[in-house]
Amino acid sequence: MTVEQSQAPAGGPLIPLHCLLHAEPGPPRLAALPTGTPVWVVTRHADVRQALTDPRLDRASLYAPDAPQVTLVPNLLDAPDTLLNIDGPEHQALRRTVQRAFTPRAIERWRPWVASVVEDLLDGVAAAGSPADVVATFTRPLPVQVISRLMGLDNHDLSRLSHWSDHALSATAYTAEEIQQAMQEFGAFGYQLVTERRKAPGDDLVSSLVLAADETGGATEMQLTMLVIGLVVAGHETTMTTLGNALVYLLDENREGWARIGADPAAAVQATEQALRTIPLGDRSTAPGLLRRANADLEIGGVTIPAGSVVAADPSSANHDPAVYPEGIDLFAPLGTPSLTFGAGPHHCLGAWLARMELELGLHGLARRFPELRLTEPTDRITWRTGLLTRSPLTLGVAW
Amino acid sequence: MSTEELLVRVDQTRCVGTGQCARTAPDDLALGPNGRAYPRNPHATDRDLLTEAAELCPVEALSVHLAATGEQIAPAD
Repeated sequence: MTVEQSQAPAGGPLIPLHCLLHAEPGPPRLAALPTGTPVWVVTRHADVRQALTDPRLDRASLYAPDAPQVTLVPNLLDAPDTLLNIDGPEHQALRRTVQRAFTPRAIERWRPWVASVVEDLLDGVAAAGSPADVVATFTRPLPVQVISRLMGLDNHDLSRLSHWSDHALSATAYTAEEIQQAMQEFGAFGYQLVTERRKAPGDDLVSSLVLAADETGGATEMQLTMLVIGLVVAGHETTMTTLGNALVYLLDENREGWARIGADPAAAVQATEQALRTIPLGDRSTAPGLLRRANADLEIGGVTIPAGSVVAADPSSANHDPAVYPEGIDLFAPLGTPSLTFGAGPHHCLGAWLARMELELGLHGLARRFPELRLTEPTDRITWRTGLLTRSPLTLGVAW
Repeated sequence: MSTEELLVRVDQTRCVGTGQCARTAPDDLALGPNGRAYPRNPHATDRDLLTEAAELCPVEALSVHLAATGEQIAPAD
C-alpha cells in the first residue's frame, strides 16, 4: 500500500487534532468559503442538528445550475448523482437499498471477523518488534482489510484503491486534472465490479447491493457505481484518520486512559464515543462544516437564512457546545446526547457502526497487547498527511 | 396476525432524524418540528411496514411491540 505524501504547508509544526480550537458556539454567522462564496456557519449543537435534519436545507441545490462555487478543486464529494448529493424520495430509495447492510445488527455480524483482522495485524506488529510505525502496520491496514473483505476485493490491487481514495478526498494535494484522471479510472473499476458481481454474485457487500438494487429498481447503474467506489473511499479514509489521531492523543496525553482501554472492552466502547466526539477529522480548511443550501427561507437559532444561501453546519464546534457537554475530554463518561460526528438527518453516515466497531476493537486490541506503547517522538515532530479533507499522521513512530 | 395492535416506541435521545421510518410507514410515523421521529397513533397495525421501518433505522431508535403483551417484535434480536 502506498500513500502519496503531499507538501506540508510552510510555517511551523501542525498541532494535533485534539488540540484544535473550536469556534465558540453562537448564533449562525456569515463567513466566506475559500472560493469567496458567502456561507452561514452554524455552530450550536441544537442548530447544527436542525440544519442537518431540516428538508429546506439540502445537498442537491449546492450543485444546481444557479449555485455559487463551493470548492476550489472539486473531488468525489462534489460528483452529482451520488448518495450524498441527492435528496428527498430519490435519496430515500437509494439509501434503503444500502441501509440494510449497515444497521447496528447487520454490522454486529462482522464483529468476530473484524476482531480476527485486528489480532492478525497485532501479531504482525509484535513479530516485527519495537520500534514500529503504527500507521503503516495498524491504523492504515485495518480499515482497508475490513472494507476489502466486506466488498470481496481481496484479489484486487489494494495500492490502486488507496491511490484513488486519496484523490477522491483531495483538497489541495492534487490538481483538478489528476483528480479527474483518477476518478475516471476509479469509476471504470467500480462499473466493472458491479458488472462482474451481477454476473457472478458472491456473499459480499457489492453483490448484495447489486441484487437489492436490481430487485427494487432503487438505483441507476451510475448511482450503483458511485456507491461502490464511495464505499471504498469511506472504508479507507475516515477510520484510519480517527484511529491515528486518537492514538496521538492517548499515547501523548492520556496514559491512564490507555491502560483502561486495554483492560476493559466496555471502556474502549465509551472511549471510542468520546474520541469521535472530541477529536475532529481535519482542519476544516476547505469548508467550516458540512455544506447544505437553502431551497427556501428558514430560521436557524433566531437568524433568518434566505433561500439560496449556502450553510455550513459545524459538528466539531457543536460537539464542544458547553450547553450540551462538559468542558474537556472525559474518555469514560457516558455521552448523554449523541454527538454530531456522523451527522444527522437523511445523510447521517452510512458507515457509522462499522467505524465504531473498528475503532473499539482496534483501540482495545492495541492497548491490551501493548500496554507500554509510547510515541518515539514529540507530537510537534509528527509528519501529517495534508492537502486532503482529513488530517492524520502520515507515520507515527511507537515503541514498547 | 396483521390486525394485531402494535405499539411503536421512539427513543428520541437516539433519533438522529434520518426520516427513513416516516417515509417507510408514513401513516404511523412522522418527523416532528424538532427533527425527531414520533408515533402518529397510540396503536398501529401495519406490522410489515413498521418492521421494515424499525429495521431500517440507522441508529435503532425505533422499536415495535405487541400492544397486548409488550413483546418486542422489531427489530428482531
